[in-house]
Amino acid sequence: MSFLRIDNLHISLGDFYLKDVSFTLEKRDYLIIIGPTGAGKTILLESIVGFWKPQKGSIYLEKVDITNELPEKRNIGIVYQDYVLLPHFTVFDNIAYGLKKKKCCQKESKIREMACMLNIDHLLHRRPDTLSGGEQQRVALARALVVDPKLLLMDEPFSALDPQTGRETRQLLKRVISKSDITVIHISHDLNDAWALANKTAVLREGALLQFGKVDEIFNRPRSAFIANFVGATILHGTAEKNGNGLTSVNIDGVKLASIDSAINGSDVTVAIRPENIIVLKK
Amino acid sequence: MAIASLFVVPSWDDVRHNIWSEEMRFSLKLSLITGITSTILVMLFALPIGYALSRFRFWGKGLVKTVIDMPIAFPELVLGLCLLLLFGSTILRDILASAGINFVFTKKGIVAAQFFTALPYAIRIMKSTFDYINPRLEFVSRSLGYSMFETFKNISLPLAKNGIVASMVISFARCIGTFGTVLILAGGSYMKTEILPITLYLNISYGNMGMALTSGIVLMIVSFLAIFVFEKAEVSL
Ligand SMILES: Nc1ncnc2c1ncn2[C@@H]1O[C@H](COP(=O)(O)OP(=O)(O)OP(=O)(O)O)[C@@H](O)[C@H]1O
Ligand SMILES: [Mg+2]
Repeated sequence: MSFLRIDNLHISLGDFYLKDVSFTLEKRDYLIIIGPTGAGKTILLESIVGFWKPQKGSIYLEKVDITNELPEKRNIGIVYQDYVLLPHFTVFDNIAYGLKKKKCCQKESKIREMACMLNIDHLLHRRPDTLSGGEQQRVALARALVVDPKLLLMDEPFSALDPQTGRETRQLLKRVISKSDITVIHISHDLNDAWALANKTAVLREGALLQFGKVDEIFNRPRSAFIANFVGATILHGTAEKNGNGLTSVNIDGVKLASIDSAINGSDVTVAIRPENIIVLKK
Repeated sequence: MAIASLFVVPSWDDVRHNIWSEEMRFSLKLSLITGITSTILVMLFALPIGYALSRFRFWGKGLVKTVIDMPIAFPELVLGLCLLLLFGSTILRDILASAGINFVFTKKGIVAAQFFTALPYAIRIMKSTFDYINPRLEFVSRSLGYSMFETFKNISLPLAKNGIVASMVISFARCIGTFGTVLILAGGSYMKTEILPITLYLNISYGNMGMALTSGIVLMIVSFLAIFVFEKAEVSL
């Protein structure tokens, strides 16, 4: 059985519904969730940590049903876009907060090691409100990672940072993750994150999981025009025609494009073209 | 102007004499004891209720909110009357009586009256204080292994400090200043259930202006001292 299994998860919150979401992850998987605003990405993440009770469905982590487990018993870390550091604690105490609850030794050295890895070891005595956004986000990452969670959840961790800081933080994160065998679910608005970090991608819209699969599957074989468009393809409309070579020909205002996909002759179809598949040749 | 006139009118010898009178000492002492007791009780209720109203969605939340807000809109005398009926002539009286508690025309009644007058204000302040604290701070704390109660103690309570102080000041001021509710439920009996506002009232009705003014002054001083003490406490917290 998989490391994380989500089965027909159904959550209603006010007017919003998360509908029958199901997917599985293996250990060390890195999943990027993408989707338009209001899709329910944050709610999905927060229900995996245990902040919202599902009306239906179940969540299994390492074969254990954790659907009704208290958040504090799940050992799942969460990092938010707006860092949410504890304002009345120093950076050191923020990182130490989760460790205090654990019976383990060398807490101090663990904290320093994690702080070194994330380049915040010179900030340990400071208060969160004296730090820059990038520094705060690294503290939030350290706080979540230092307790060795089974699963790390991140809600748009880079989107409040300027592009340069975002890239640096992404590199740091990549390095830290590669040194551990942690499984990650990461919500992002930046498709580059999917290519740079993830091996799996999920597309969420209006509370429903539209597609889940390997990163290149979502980008190269999107299941609907919406997903294709969302991941950066150009959408065109045309009519399918027969083509001699076993290919389908699509007539778009007189221009004919061949495709290996099949379609009923004469039917109206939608065509998605990825920019990297358009080859521009000089005259 | 109005406050200043309180200090201008009386003759100071009179005030000095009145302050040390037995009635005034009794009344001040009772005011402080009941005021402090009520404030503590109010806070014990306002913290969890304010927190629950701010954080949780539950069935009947709207109704609870209305019931809690109602006393703010009520005239004090009507609130007192409601409490008198509640504690004086329902089964609640029998239940309380069997536990040895009687609120009607007693010192406990003063505390009860003050409690119900101040509670809605304290709950409102606590609710809006908790509304301002990002619930995700609590989420993160729980994801790091802390129970709901530990999270409340470690995160919500320290961050709500200013609201708690404000809530205590308002509650204490409401408690020692409330008159109508106390008069109806606890009765305004001389040297028995006599707190400062009652002293003021009793002496006015006897035409004893000096004593009435003195209790007014003492009441003002106690209120200002309370604000001062709480503000100091806030700085050192
Ligand atoms: N506590 C709540 N009660 C009721 N509705 C909520 C609650 N939290 C969120 N919602 C609604 O649920 C929907 C999904 O919210 P969610 O925050 O999961 O979206 P999202 O996909 O994370 O969007 P974004 O990309 O903007 O962060 C929104 O319409 C939101 O208004
Ligand atoms: Mg979100």
